[in-house]
Amino acid sequence: MLLEKLLRSKAVIWALLVLPFIWAIWPIFRPSPSDADPLKSTLLHLGFIASILLAVVLTFTPLRILFPKWGVALALNRHRRLVGVSAFAYALLHLTAHVRHVYDGSFDTFFKEIQKPFQLTGLAAFTILFVLTITSLHVAVRWLGARRWKNIHRLAYIAVALVAYHQAAAKKLFPMQVVYIFGPLLALELARIIKQRLKTKAT
Amino acid sequence: MLIRTPKPWELPESAVTPERDYLLRPRRDFLKTLGAGAATLAAASLLPRHALATTAGFPTKVNTAFRDPALKPTAYEWITSYNNFYEFGSEKHEPKPNANKGWKTEPWTVEITGLINNPMKIEANDLVVKMGGAEQRVYRFRCVEAWSMVIPWDGFPLTKLIKLADPKPEAKFVTFTTLHDPKVMPGQRGRGLDWPYFEGLRLDEANHELAFMATGIYGRPIPNQNGAPLRLVVPWKYGFKCGKSIVKIDFVAKQPRNTWQVMAASEYGFYANVNPQVDHPRWSQASERVIGEGGAFGRRQKTLMFNGYEKEVAGLYKGLDLRKYY
Repeated sequence: MLLEKLLRSKAVIWALLVLPFIWAIWPIFRPSPSDADPLKSTLLHLGFIASILLAVVLTFTPLRILFPKWGVALALNRHRRLVGVSAFAYALLHLTAHVRHVYDGSFDTFFKEIQKPFQLTGLAAFTILFVLTITSLHVAVRWLGARRWKNIHRLAYIAVALVAYHQAAAKKLFPMQVVYIFGPLLALELARIIKQRLKTKAT
Repeated sequence: MLIRTPKPWELPESAVTPERDYLLRPRRDFLKTLGAGAATLAAASLLPRHALATTAGFPTKVNTAFRDPALKPTAYEWITSYNNFYEFGSEKHEPKPNANKGWKTEPWTVEITGLINNPMKIEANDLVVKMGGAEQRVYRFRCVEAWSMVIPWDGFPLTKLIKLADPKPEAKFVTFTTLHDPKVMPGQRGRGLDWPYFEGLRLDEANHELAFMATGIYGRPIPNQNGAPLRLVVPWKYGFKCGKSIVKIDFVAKQPRNTWQVMAASEYGFYANVNPQVDHPRWSQASERVIGEGGAFGRRQKTLMFNGYEKEVAGLYKGLDLRKYY
């Protein structure tokens, strides 16, 4: 199957991960009166991509468990680390753009704002992604031991909840994108839990 | 020697309509009766095609008392392209295209009602004429989302309208209701705010000399996306207080609620005075992005108390806890 073949390729995945970056920084090179705060657009784009990648990478495991024979699911699972680390990379760019955006000669505004729940949840999620990234090296698994490593990487589920809140709180009106981005993940996780429950009951 | 006999249709110089009178008339009528006036015609044709709001009172005269030379107005293109007008979409770039798909803002009837001695329904052009025409003032504009512009508004002081309405002693607040017409306003069709959008002021706030009813920007009729043809401007408050496309002005006894307060009372209050010391629950109000400046990375400046109008308006809030009444 073509899709499966494509998704097995590292080059294809790299391209899929890098291309959105061009879209994200596009406003900076094309300021227009209707996009009068291009850095803000860019930082929103970066955060948007980071949250999609985080949601997407977390669907890989449930997809594999739900459809163990589906080649696409298996192909995707080869790239868990790459996609996960790129979610962190976009989150880092998002945070950097934000710091630049609120910089008004001092960082006071940044430190004041970061204490508010809307921003603190973003920072907490970022910290989790940071920890997951530095422990994503093979050597870290050896240091920590498989069990501890796995427990640490379960923090990703907390991160995704924090990001969903962070994104929903960013707008005056509830943004439907939160549902589009995290809804499928939630559905897959529920299906996976149900499947695993049924399996343990059967045995 | 040539003796000139006046033609029977010639009129004496004294019969010429004074400039003041025709400048205050709606542009349509004014153009109809205008003979040549090439320069004026040229000026009129400079008006963008979409600018067909209330045209009475143009061209306007700058009121130098409200023209701080230190303020550098934001370019017309930015003011009229970067808009929060949820009736036409919640993204800033949406109102400009969506509000100019055949939405007619002239003629426009506004109802002035409530606890007043002189209730009326009046066409916006006629109202401007009744107000003695329009003048231009340059005001700071500060959005609650921590960005700012400097806008040359054309219009008339709100206090003049209040004088015309002649409030009864029991009237303590003024409410402003804006247009509800889902046929032309796509943002009113789906989920969103509690339509129509409404705002309110204390009567003494509304009577302040800075409170203004805008009918224009940069000496041109106000574009649809900026709230044609009548828009409230209260420069010491956050932008959301400045209701757009107003259809009803109601004088009431009790403090009204306002749309954003209904949506999220913890974030948006009745007063909404610009205050760098009182944060929004989600961000700081200590500084603001200056729209149209600083290139792609932008520029930020410190926000001023009451948006720089502290000297003028602080007296209105003596003894009021501005943290509690945000």
